[in-house]
Amino acid sequence: MSASQQLTPTNPNSALKIRLAYRFLLTLNTLNAKKPPNFDHTQIHRRSHRVKIAAYASMASVVGPKRAWSRAILWKIRNRGMLARNKKRIHRISTPIRLHRHHARRRRNPNRVVHVDPFVNSGLEVKLRKLVPGAETIDPCGLLDETADYIKYLATQVEVMRNLVDLYSTI
Amino acid sequence: MSSRRSRTRQSTSRISDDQINDLVSRLQQLLPEIRNRRSDKVSASKVLQETCSYIRSLHREVDDLSDRLSELLENTDSTQATIIRSLLSQ
Repeated sequence: MSASQQLTPTNPNSALKIRLAYRFLLTLNTLNAKKPPNFDHTQIHRRSHRVKIAAYASMASVVGPKRAWSRAILWKIRNRGMLARNKKRIHRISTPIRLHRHHARRRRNPNRVVHVDPFVNSGLEVKLRKLVPGAETIDPCGLLDETADYIKYLATQVEVMRNLVDLYSTI
Repeated sequence: MSSRRSRTRQSTSRISDDQINDLVSRLQQLLPEIRNRRSDKVSASKVLQETCSYIRSLHREVDDLSDRLSELLENTDSTQATIIRSLLSQ
């Protein structure tokens, strides 16, 4: 393995890696079984897009509906056909959030307005909400929590993919 | 007016500063650069900036890796069982 790989001595991290890797390989296998290999230039781009979707989908399925970001990813992937068709009419970000915002408004206590602001510069908060999926309507503390969880899974998924690329390229 | 404001501020202090510092330090532990730098006093805005750039770099890396992976996958067809086995045995 590459020397730049960080040491992960904790057991839960390697167990997580195995779960992500297994799910990812499963998704890749079903992906490969569907379409025959094609050496056209546009097909190459489409294939890499499919691998990318498989990566995000497998990562979100391992977590399940427990997290806002995984729910948002699964929603986006399942409805990407519909989203692509409505791209010109409806702004893409607002469509999944419309459902989520309605749900959040019902649940939240109206008195619980957050005045404590960890984001001294609110420009950062907006950027973070755009980067983390499903984070547009969460309160700031929940946002930090979701971000930490998302980074953990995303970094592990990247590690899994790196290992796979190393493995495949040495064969 | 100011009393009303102070009253609402007290009722929302449930989300305390300690909690926020906790969350920010959790994020700090996940970021690779700040963790290696071994400095305790990193401001919250720096942590958030690093978080944003880290997430962006992770997204880019996923794109790049999926490009390479799709290329490699179309070339090697068989021996996937051995690959899975060797990956899981690490």
